[in-house]
Amino acid sequence: MKLLDGHGGFLERTIEGMHAGLERAVAAEHSAAGGGLLQRLDARVKVVGLLSLILAAALATRLWVIAAIFALAVVLAVLSRVPLRVLAARAWIGALAFTGAIAVPALFLTPGVALYRLPGLHWTVTAQGLTTASYLLLRVITAATLALLLEFTTPWVQVLKALRVFRIPVVFVAILGIASRYILLLLETAHEMFESRKSRSVGALEGAERRRMAVGSAGVLLSRTFQLSGDVYLAMQARGFRGEVHLLDDFAMKRLDWLALAGFAALAAAAVWAAR
Amino acid sequence: MMLFETAHLTYRYDRLTAVEDLSISIREGSRVALVGANGSGKSTLLRILDGLYFGQEGAVRFRGEELTEERFADDAFAFSFRRQVGLVFQNADVQLFNPTVFDEVAFGPLQLRWPKSEVRERVHEALERFGIAHLKDRVPHRLSGGEQKRVALASVLVLDPAVLLLDEPTAALDPRSQSQMIDLLVEWGGGAKSVITATHNLADLEDIADRCLVLDGGRVVAEGAPAEILRDRELLERTNLVHAHRHRHRSGEAHSHPHIHSGDVERSD
Amino acid sequence: MHIPDGYLSPATCAVLYTGAAPFWYVALRRVRKALHTRLVPLISLFAAFSFVIMMFNLPLPGGTTGHAVGIGLAAVVLGPWAAMLAVSIAIVIQALFFGDGGITAIGANCFNMAIAGALVAYAVYRILAGRAAIGSARRVMAAGLAGYVAINVSALLAAIEFGIQPLLYRDATGAPLYCPYPLSVAIPAMMLGHLTIAGFAELTVSAGVVAFLQRSDPSLLKTTAGRGAALAEPAAGRAMRPLWAGLGALLLLTPLGILATGSAWGEWMARDFSNPAVRHEIAATSFQQAAPLRAPEGLARLSQIWTAPFARYAPPYIRSAAFGYLLSAMFGAGLIVLACLTVGRLFGRKEPAT
Repeated sequence: MKLLDGHGGFLERTIEGMHAGLERAVAAEHSAAGGGLLQRLDARVKVVGLLSLILAAALATRLWVIAAIFALAVVLAVLSRVPLRVLAARAWIGALAFTGAIAVPALFLTPGVALYRLPGLHWTVTAQGLTTASYLLLRVITAATLALLLEFTTPWVQVLKALRVFRIPVVFVAILGIASRYILLLLETAHEMFESRKSRSVGALEGAERRRMAVGSAGVLLSRTFQLSGDVYLAMQARGFRGEVHLLDDFAMKRLDWLALAGFAALAAAAVWAAR
Repeated sequence: MMLFETAHLTYRYDRLTAVEDLSISIREGSRVALVGANGSGKSTLLRILDGLYFGQEGAVRFRGEELTEERFADDAFAFSFRRQVGLVFQNADVQLFNPTVFDEVAFGPLQLRWPKSEVRERVHEALERFGIAHLKDRVPHRLSGGEQKRVALASVLVLDPAVLLLDEPTAALDPRSQSQMIDLLVEWGGGAKSVITATHNLADLEDIADRCLVLDGGRVVAEGAPAEILRDRELLERTNLVHAHRHRHRSGEAHSHPHIHSGDVERSD
Repeated sequence: MHIPDGYLSPATCAVLYTGAAPFWYVALRRVRKALHTRLVPLISLFAAFSFVIMMFNLPLPGGTTGHAVGIGLAAVVLGPWAAMLAVSIAIVIQALFFGDGGITAIGANCFNMAIAGALVAYAVYRILAGRAAIGSARRVMAAGLAGYVAINVSALLAAIEFGIQPLLYRDATGAPLYCPYPLSVAIPAMMLGHLTIAGFAELTVSAGVVAFLQRSDPSLLKTTAGRGAALAEPAAGRAMRPLWAGLGALLLLTPLGILATGSAWGEWMARDFSNPAVRHEIAATSFQQAAPLRAPEGLARLSQIWTAPFARYAPPYIRSAAFGYLLSAMFGAGLIVLACLTVGRLFGRKEPAT
């Protein structure tokens, strides 16, 4: 039963959004367990390598450099068994729609050399406008692809532990880990709450009613959050937690890892140098 | 020297008295069941015994040492206690707070500052022993109830505590997992280990305990061997562990049977 | 309103990461001191809650829906420092694991939403709520407005970050390298959406959940009630120090304004209208509409009335432009702080020692 928009459409959309979130987490986990190229590398190499490519794309002042990094990202994706349709669905479409809409006015608004005048309207596309829109779109899509690659080739617990490479305090890594673990739980709790409210709401709801429903769910979720936090605190103490966090990771650099790291470093450096 | 000893223990929170004037003693190497309906105070008592809650009145002693907040502020004492006494919570969502099964089992040893190589070894050993090695990189959220309980047990028993406290170990488990759990406990409990189980599941009482303490309203109302307690129908009804169920047959006859609930499975006696 | 990668230059991102870091550091220390071992479970769980709240599609007046960040609610329930940490964690998770918001932009997003948002929300809440009872309607209103103002301040910061990009970062042909819209476009564009939809979403969440908690679990509102509960600052003076430091840092950065060549949109003087160079600039930033040949009458008349003491932020006797800017900023900020303190003194009462 599809509810009409404006009559609980917000419930539908929220449920869909949560469902999509949960589903993405599962898909990423599944992909990260696959046997592609990137999956075989040490998480630290991937974190440092992919992030430096994102940085290189951000620093580039030549369009072709960004395009080259993008092409590289796509190749890495294919080699890591992340199919193009997954990239398109999860990274490109959203980014293009959003940034595309934002970039279009820039075609006309950026002062510079006129290129083409739209027939009918008096809007002129400038060369600079075209360039700037391209920078924006290319950078957004390249960064989105690289970020997705990290997400889909590395179990997120390993990504977190790899962050220690950047000297991020252990306590933050621990908090990130525990928070991620409970996000899934709270998402499901919220999902169930909304599903049950949806099934109980017959017909159209007044605006104020709907707001109350949404806010009430948030309130219930908040209470549950605090309750859980109190119980988890006890559970942590019961196992010896005294405030200091200790992590154990399984990281070990193999030859392939060193090679990959060198490869990433060389590519990033080349990109930065080429764009001078 | 007793394992645990409480003297006129009282614990209140908000405006409820969860435990009232409780004086019990538990011997080393014993298997005790704290039996009571929900709200009888058994969970709270377990947490007090585990040094998580501290009573407003009275005292608790573990192997002669009094358990107070000040005592636990001392690192040496706290580590020693946490090593010796383990508590498995009822709710797996609370017990399993780490991102993966491996991290969960490794948490205790890491907190107790065992060297990392030893931690790795012990964790793998525990995973094997509880048959969950294949789950080591999984997220606790997506495990089945039985798997979660095994991870919970592994994460506590990896420390090899002398005392195991269990809060409703078979709650929310399907019958097969329940019996597996009982088997695990019976197997582990054999020997010099002490097990204190809080439960309202009467069906497994005889398997898991030699001695029962029946709680009602925060007080101990009866004590004895499981068989004795189970025979005392009046006591069981009074403490809400069993209820009388009335139904009418087509012939018009009214029957009254006592009902025993084992977890989620109902069977009438 | 999470900024994606590619909109801000790496330099801007680096500045914002560097700007955020001291706040994170201070927040960690303060929260650790207040919560001790409870820090990890509380912040973790609240971060998870924060993440989920950001996914709520909230029904708003007029049939629209919007998303809230929940920073107002976080600040009211946890206090500014814990709120800052929890929401930052949620933002990091969104960027790393759900592709929502850029990774290079994490510093910027945290600075705008989590850090500035938490501080502004807390300040507004405490000022507006005063000493009202925990269950009072005044607190609900205060929470709602705190959320509203906070998200708009975050949006303004983001708009400024966007707006200075084309000013500072262009390639050899003059094409902007990152966000192509100057302040004149970025600010109205961002603020329109936030003063309306996003602002009201935030207001709804903050006010609504606080009202809900007043009925169901008022103890959760105690920490920011100002009555010496768990997370309340022991001495207001000490608590304010990082805020003063932050204000000081911002003051020192004001000379950056000099980099903005020309005048801000709409801030033209009467005589600018007869200056061809300025006329060209006006047209360029106004969608190619030519400026009138003479200053509008009203503008000409009114501009005679008041001559500012520090005209054009440059007192005539100060020769260095940057120093003049700095001086004006300090003077301006000082005036505002003085005004606030005076108002506070007049309408507030001294808090009893706890």
